[in-house]
Amino acid sequence: MKFFIYFVFLFFLISLNKGTLSESSDNVTTYPVDFKTGTFEDEIFDPLEPINRAIFDFNNVADKIILEPAAKGYRKLPSPIQSGISNFLGNLKMPLVILNQFLQGQGSNGIESTGRFIVNSTAGVFGIIDVADKLGLEEKEEDFGQTLATWGLGDGFYIVLPIFGPSNLRDTSGMVLTLATDPINAYAVREGEGEFILLRTSINAVDQRSKIIDEVNALRDNSIDYYAAVRSSYYQNRKAAILNIDDSELTPVPLISVEFE
Amino acid sequence: MKNIYKFLIVFVLISNSSFANEAVNWLKMEVDFILNAYKNDNITTKEKFEHIEDTINKNFAGAGIAKFVAGQAWASADKDIKKEYIKLFKRHLALNIASMMQGYSDQEYSLTNSKFDETNNITLIDMEIKHDTNSILITWRVKKSKNKFYVIDLLVADISLVVTKRSEFNSALKKIDYNLEAFNEILQNQNKLSYTKIIQ
Repeated sequence: MKFFIYFVFLFFLISLNKGTLSESSDNVTTYPVDFKTGTFEDEIFDPLEPINRAIFDFNNVADKIILEPAAKGYRKLPSPIQSGISNFLGNLKMPLVILNQFLQGQGSNGIESTGRFIVNSTAGVFGIIDVADKLGLEEKEEDFGQTLATWGLGDGFYIVLPIFGPSNLRDTSGMVLTLATDPINAYAVREGEGEFILLRTSINAVDQRSKIIDEVNALRDNSIDYYAAVRSSYYQNRKAAILNIDDSELTPVPLISVEFE
Repeated sequence: MKNIYKFLIVFVLISNSSFANEAVNWLKMEVDFILNAYKNDNITTKEKFEHIEDTINKNFAGAGIAKFVAGQAWASADKDIKKEYIKLFKRHLALNIASMMQGYSDQEYSLTNSKFDETNNITLIDMEIKHDTNSILITWRVKKSKNKFYVIDLLVADISLVVTKRSEFNSALKKIDYNLEAFNEILQNQNKLSYTKIIQ
């Protein structure tokens, strides 16, 4: 019952978001003088920018002193251990990935992921070894944020969450839904092992961060406005995940003249 | 008549494929040059960066990207300010690419796929960088002009460098009323910082 009320509340929030905020968030400022075709989001709807920037600075410090060193240490572990941890955590996410694939009408992907989950949970020893990949069952990620977007909900405004980082109203709602509906988390809570959720989230963060150490550092070291660069990157990345289309089709080709090089 | 159509389709497919192959060979040569510069222990870090900057300046459509990234600040700026901005932007671009490639210098890479986009007249080349436990996909957008290839954009895991830079610059420019002259000073200071980090 508690969960039902929670869900209705979230749905109400998201519906509000759709009606009042999606229009503004989808506003795109373009300057015809610079290019003839294509749309670029020069302005991302960010009404909480001053607060977001403060949280972003806090996250950045936390990243520098905790997450990045942990990720660097993690990268020093033998490759099979890193792969094993990453595969195991990925497999734990599969029940919700499958649910979201079906909710988005991706029947064949849902069936493929179900096969992947069964094979990896059994032959792959609780998901530690990615046997399914070798059988051609490709890993595809879907989450509640993507499902809500597929159902037509707008982004809402941009939010920087403490510790969790860049998000928007829709994706934050999706994240809350994930936390509330994850069967593994629910099982851990029922068994009185609530700290498992914290451990899982922390290891997952270190694992994900370890995969983008070079990219994050390059962006951080060379940005005039690191906050704006991360915000833009987040939106581009989420668009690609939501639309599930080839990146070459996704980002309009900037009309760049090479005639005066 | 049918045969003529078939011939034309095959001709277009073959010419597009050879055009893409030509671009792939060119890109491989340039990427290898950059990565080899990092692996060369006989030159100083400063010299390494100079080699890399030179390669990037020769092969990226730096001025075109600079203009695009400046957005609305471009139109209102004077000629000399624009010239200075392009010079600073080219260094900024080189520092960004060099910093990213530095991380890949000890990784293996392969050019996995290429295709010619007829609508936009560009070639898209996918490059997979293999880390120990995962890989990252980079897509190069390449345009040919006067028998020379130019990189016009770089997408790292679906994130466009050019679009990110435009958004980032727009955010900074907004704070100074889109004054490109004042922005040049900010860009120069950032370049100094980035340069110090890259050669240390």
